[in-house]
Amino acid sequence: MATALAWIVLVVPLISGIVLAGWPGEPPHAVTRLLGIGSILISFALSVAVFIGLLGNAADDRSFTSSAFEWISIAGTDVDLSILVDPLSVMMMLIITGVGFLIHLYSAEYMEHDRDYRRFFASMNLFVFSMLLLVLAGNFFFLIVGWAFVGLASYLLIGFWYERPTAVAAAKKAFVINVIGDVGLVLAAFLILRELGTLDYGEAFAGASGLGANSGTVLAICLLLFVGAAAKSAQVPLHTWLPDAMEGPTPVSALIHAATMVTAGVYLIVRCHAFFDLSWLAGDIVAVVGAITLLMAATVALQQVDIKRVLAWSTVSQVGYMIMAVGLGAYASGMFMLMAHAFYKAALFLAAGVVIHALHDEQSLDRMGGLRKYLRVAYFGMGAGCLAIAGVPGFAGFFAKDDVLASALNGGAIGVFCWVVGILGAFLTALYMFRLLFRAFFGPEPAGGYQPAPHPSRWWMSVPVVVLGILSIVGGWLQLPFGWTEISDWLLPVTGEGPAILEPTHATEVVTIIVSVVMALGGIGLAWWLFGADPERRIRLAAIARGPRAVMDDAWRFDEAYDDVFVEPGREMADVMLTRVEPAGPQGIITGTVAFVRGAARLVRSSQSGMVRAYAFWMVLGIALAGIVAALIAAGGS
Amino acid sequence: MGEKVTFAVAAIGALGFGTGVVFFRDAFRAAVSLIGTLLSVALLFIVLLAPFAAAVQVIVYAGAIVVMFLFVIAYLGERGEVTTPDRLDRWQVIGWLGVIGLGAFGAVAVLDSSSAPADAAPATTDVGTPASIGDAFLSDHLLAFEVTSLILLVAAVGAVILARSAVQGAGGR
Amino acid sequence: MNVPIEAYLMLSLALLALGLVGVMRRRNPLMLLLSVELMLNAGNVSLIGFSRLWDDPSGQVFALVVMVVAAAEVVIGLGLVVAIFRSRTRLDVDEMSSMRG
Repeated sequence: MATALAWIVLVVPLISGIVLAGWPGEPPHAVTRLLGIGSILISFALSVAVFIGLLGNAADDRSFTSSAFEWISIAGTDVDLSILVDPLSVMMMLIITGVGFLIHLYSAEYMEHDRDYRRFFASMNLFVFSMLLLVLAGNFFFLIVGWAFVGLASYLLIGFWYERPTAVAAAKKAFVINVIGDVGLVLAAFLILRELGTLDYGEAFAGASGLGANSGTVLAICLLLFVGAAAKSAQVPLHTWLPDAMEGPTPVSALIHAATMVTAGVYLIVRCHAFFDLSWLAGDIVAVVGAITLLMAATVALQQVDIKRVLAWSTVSQVGYMIMAVGLGAYASGMFMLMAHAFYKAALFLAAGVVIHALHDEQSLDRMGGLRKYLRVAYFGMGAGCLAIAGVPGFAGFFAKDDVLASALNGGAIGVFCWVVGILGAFLTALYMFRLLFRAFFGPEPAGGYQPAPHPSRWWMSVPVVVLGILSIVGGWLQLPFGWTEISDWLLPVTGEGPAILEPTHATEVVTIIVSVVMALGGIGLAWWLFGADPERRIRLAAIARGPRAVMDDAWRFDEAYDDVFVEPGREMADVMLTRVEPAGPQGIITGTVAFVRGAARLVRSSQSGMVRAYAFWMVLGIALAGIVAALIAAGGS
Repeated sequence: MGEKVTFAVAAIGALGFGTGVVFFRDAFRAAVSLIGTLLSVALLFIVLLAPFAAAVQVIVYAGAIVVMFLFVIAYLGERGEVTTPDRLDRWQVIGWLGVIGLGAFGAVAVLDSSSAPADAAPATTDVGTPASIGDAFLSDHLLAFEVTSLILLVAAVGAVILARSAVQGAGGR
Repeated sequence: MNVPIEAYLMLSLALLALGLVGVMRRRNPLMLLLSVELMLNAGNVSLIGFSRLWDDPSGQVFALVVMVVAAAEVVIGLGLVVAIFRSRTRLDVDEMSSMRG
């Protein structure tokens, strides 16, 4: 029953996406909305039904696989078109379809004046289908299919406004880096197939322990999986595509580049935790990469002026927390943070979208200020999101982040290192988010005021912002410190229990809560002192620490480094190839062949005089020569 | 003895008329001369006990083909051989070399052959009768037979098409 | 067979050489065709001679095939000559060189 509904959840967005894509011409907006939003609503309702169905079962009876048909069967390896419905995938389904539905609803108004309304919803539905396929896949084969489809949908949506060269460049960049991750994932699947002879989740995870704890094979599998995860989840050093992906429409940024797609890496690691549990080294590498990412991205977010880029770097940072958590083995904490982040980051992006929409595509913080008077709904969404992400007690981010950090504190030396980095990150998070809030919604209006005045959003956009704002408050109450652990309990059948699984303890929770609340409030206070209380102070202090801030402004110069290391040598090599090797080598061979054939043809052509008698002469000469030779042979032989 | 005389007469006739074919300046005379060569060769065929081939030689060659030559010569009218210098004069050397080489080859080959069962063959034989030739055509050489008929068909169609284009080129229907 | 086969072959060779000389010397296309007929006849003499020598009808069969081919060749050859030279004043094969490479 549960699996049948899950199939429908999976297929409905696909069908509506195909119908929209194949619709001749531009249908009326009402039809596009009905198909594009209605399909996601159906999926969400059925996801809830699946969830309720699983709730009715005992905890150890919540995992179902369903196979539509056998896709490939060779040499004892069967790959079925199968889905796996278990607590983890149901949780992801709920997030994808729930947040996805709200964002689709929001898009109905946001994209209203775009001439490609239909194409937008077709691509969005394709994305939802791909993401559902990714999380529902019952084996690595279809995981990769969904993984690649998600990359494709992301490419299509980043490059949605394809008239802009920057959007096209950003889409290409995202696609290329995602393909690097795809290659890692595919290689990991090959390795699993070679070592375990199966691509099925259940068989692979059951056989994982047979590879031996801390063996090189397990480490290789884990690191290859992590290459895939890092590319999708924008972890150092494969993070550079995500800030550029903000070239896409804001709902796309909210759905794909904040709530769902970028968390696919976290999902992947939790799904494959059977491998990561076996290799402490792999887990530590993942955790350290996550920690580095979260700190680096937080510092960059401090400097951004574009409102969406602040949020993008904040996403990189927050996903760094999740990756750090799952790397340490705190799977439930990571998934809890994934869910909470989906709520508050979607709220932030959608509120930012309202601002951008109201200001007619203005994204720079320098030309914002005092907006709270005009845009009450956006102010609510942004405020709730900021309080949540900063970790103010009572909000979702507080519980999620503290769950992660409290678990990390139990993780040995690496865990303590991660905890320290996480606490620092929490301070920076509070600082940069409230910098955004204070600069956009408080303070004086930009010089000259707003021309025309910002117009508030209609209900299409307001409702999702408000709902997500509320969810960023109450969404964290599923898992409270000191014993109320709904998320961990729900995920227990998937993550299991063992020495590699980290859980917070009371002592670490107390320490973490005290320190992190101090840090969050400190960050907010500093932000108020810098940006809120006196808008002129920021300008007066502009001269301080120019050098480091320039580095942060350039996002630690990763793009420049990639240019120097990969792009420029590649370009120079291509140049040498083009100017030196190619004319002499391939082109030389071809032109040489042509010249030879042409010369030979000229030589041979002169014999074709067109005179029949000349041909006769040649023929006679040939016969005569043959005759003379034969005569000589005969004379010699006799 | 009679055979040798007949051969000598026929051979001299064939070569003599052949020389006429090659060296008569007038095409009409050359064609008539060809008739003499063909009849001489037909005579040789009879000496070689191939009466059917001889009959065909006379009827088809001397009768049909040469008559067609004469028709065309008459149709194209008197247009004497050109007098412009021969551009291929230099090549004549090659031609003569070729003829000499061929002659040497043939002479050596003929004089070298020693295995001819010249006297083994019976004086009278039935290989030249229409019956045996028809039998050979329809049993051992069926493919050659079919190919021959196909060639004739192609030639007939080709002649018609050439005639059509010739008529159109001349402004006819 | 009182006349040795060598005599027939030498005759055949002589006829062939005559034909060759004709092909090479004459520039009138009609004469070219006549010379070719001469060469074909030379071949036929050899074929019939061998047929007699080995007492086998195959030689005669091929002589007949050669005659048929000769007939077809003459039909097409004469057709071409007529088609090409009806509009020209001179009969010269050297002018039929539009297929020059």
